Amino acid sequence: MKLKEYEAKDILQKAGIPIPRGVLVKKGSDYLVSPDIKEAAIKAQVEVKEAAIKAQVEVAGRGKAGGILMADHAGIRDTTEKLFQTTIKGLPVEEILIEEKLQIQHEYYLSITIDRSQKAPVILFTTEGGVDIEEIAQKNPAAIRKATVYPLLSKVPGYTLRYLLNGSPKEIGAIIQKLYSVFMSQDALLAEINPLVMTPDGLFAADAKLILDDNALARHGIQENRDLSERERQAAAHGFSFVELNGNIGVIGNGAGLTMATVDLINRMGGRPANFLDVGGGADRVRVAHAVRLLGSMPDVTVIIVNLLGGITRCDEVAAGIIEAGVSQQIIVRLAGTNEAEGKALLSSKGYRMLDTMEEAVTAAVEAAS
Amino acid sequence: MIYADKNTGVIVCGATGNQGSFHIDRMNQYARSIGGRGVVAGVTPGKGGQEVHGVPVYNSILEAAEAQNATAAVLFVPGSSAGDSIMEAADAGLDLVVTITEHIPVHDVMQAVTYAQMRDCTVIGPNCPGLFSPGEISMGIMPAHLATRGPVGVISRSGTLTYEVVHELTRAGIGQSSIIGIGGDPIIGQTFADALERFAEDPLTKAVVILGELGGNLEEEGARSAELPVVAFIAGTTAPAEKRMGHAGAIVTGGEGDANAKIARLRDLGVPVADRLSEIPAMIRGGNLNVNH
Repeated sequence: MKLKEYEAKDILQKAGIPIPRGVLVKKGSDYLVSPDIKEAAIKAQVEVKEAAIKAQVEVAGRGKAGGILMADHAGIRDTTEKLFQTTIKGLPVEEILIEEKLQIQHEYYLSITIDRSQKAPVILFTTEGGVDIEEIAQKNPAAIRKATVYPLLSKVPGYTLRYLLNGSPKEIGAIIQKLYSVFMSQDALLAEINPLVMTPDGLFAADAKLILDDNALARHGIQENRDLSERERQAAAHGFSFVELNGNIGVIGNGAGLTMATVDLINRMGGRPANFLDVGGGADRVRVAHAVRLLGSMPDVTVIIVNLLGGITRCDEVAAGIIEAGVSQQIIVRLAGTNEAEGKALLSSKGYRMLDTMEEAVTAAVEAAS
Repeated sequence: MIYADKNTGVIVCGATGNQGSFHIDRMNQYARSIGGRGVVAGVTPGKGGQEVHGVPVYNSILEAAEAQNATAAVLFVPGSSAGDSIMEAADAGLDLVVTITEHIPVHDVMQAVTYAQMRDCTVIGPNCPGLFSPGEISMGIMPAHLATRGPVGVISRSGTLTYEVVHELTRAGIGQSSIIGIGGDPIIGQTFADALERFAEDPLTKAVVILGELGGNLEEEGARSAELPVVAFIAGTTAPAEKRMGHAGAIVTGGEGDANAKIARLRDLGVPVADRLSEIPAMIRGGNLNVNH
């Protein structure tokens, strides 16, 4: 789950990384969220000559999309109001972070993510911050210093810091160390400071990004993954993975790979999948019934294909779930694996169309939907 | 056949849970049918002394391993404690841990896999269907009746996709030596390259099918080092960008891991890539294999 800028900065600040002074304001709150922040705001307004007004929306290229405006002291309120009236890449602006403008001497880029091949955290650092790392990687790949850290170490070794910094101010080493501890303690998939700004008063994280591992949210007291759409949330609550696509053939599979391959094959045969739905391992009757009903409730879906191979999933449970759902759309079923005979018998007795192979089932679904 | 055989004594962790108990029974039905040792012990902390389908349950992996002379484990424990179980197994001196569990936090996997490597313990998974060698051993959840013994190895990031291909191979009269689900997570123990290296040393295996998907670059890495002829299939060619397709590892980020780009790179390496699963048996049989890549 992606954290918003101010949430990420709050975590960084608690870890000892300096962030610009600022205040968060919410739409329709007459500017001020809580008495604490009101005081901070007043203080910030008094002291801040110039401010960055930043929409708290999670989109790539927020600055270029008009999500960050500059204002002098007198114009902060008007500029903030103006930003609240806009949408950034289609997203409404509900929260705005007003920060003092920093006196930039230099902008660095710093991030920590996971290197899948090395199976270790990897730190990226470059003296050319302030733009997207993808852009730097294209224009000047040699400027990026990259180092992995052995995952069982609690700190980044000194030699690794020296390699990364390559002569840049050594205070940045302390920031890397703190960001590493945030990355490890928060179960982060990405911790990024871009830009990390050098000012006459020292280093500041001018912008920050944190993406947390969805599988570790509960451990950090987060009950709900905000990144999911309403239907995806419903799906997750029932224990399956769900992605909405734009077609008319509802797809239910078990296992991500088989479900993906089913979606791919429908496309290849000229059909249009409405979704990707993986009921998960060991799906029982209740979950399958929910899955079928969820697709049945999608207005564009005219045919549902259920393509299941039982490993940890029992076919008889699946069959019972399909029957129980009782949706109006035509359902084409392909079942094989654990308790296969029982599942097949159950479905045939209720008149469902059963096919033996995935290709036959997809062919039938594409024909029925066209 | 690689990683384990008939004589391997297996421990199941999470033995008293629903899935653990169901699959102990299935694994042992298979072991009995071929005369293998199968699951010789279960582990659930606090439930030592119980039995599951006639298999004795212990409180710790070390106790189970010592009492029953077991060298490998299959994990059905919850995601929040699976990293811990991998390290416990490595610490108890086991050679092999197959982790079926999904939804394990990736930091836990990263640390557990590194720890296991330090202790010379091989980790397969997590988030995988396990290991199945027809006529030798079932260590996981693969449906036994789909497979048949023969010369083709299968390595896959996805469970059910594996069954689909094994089913196709068997229907076409092509048997399998070992079927390895390496798992759908961003970080996994054994990779395509690791499993291919094992297959290269296996006298039974003549060719290998690798079943990949979008995300990461483990397929290309494996193909680059492969000594045996390889045929590939990659799922997710029509998946939308930046969306996680079920598996935590199946996501295109920052332009990396796109399925079509992956297929192009594999073909550049001389690896035949099937557009449809049903083409795989013909590619194996029909001499489409480029053995000189």
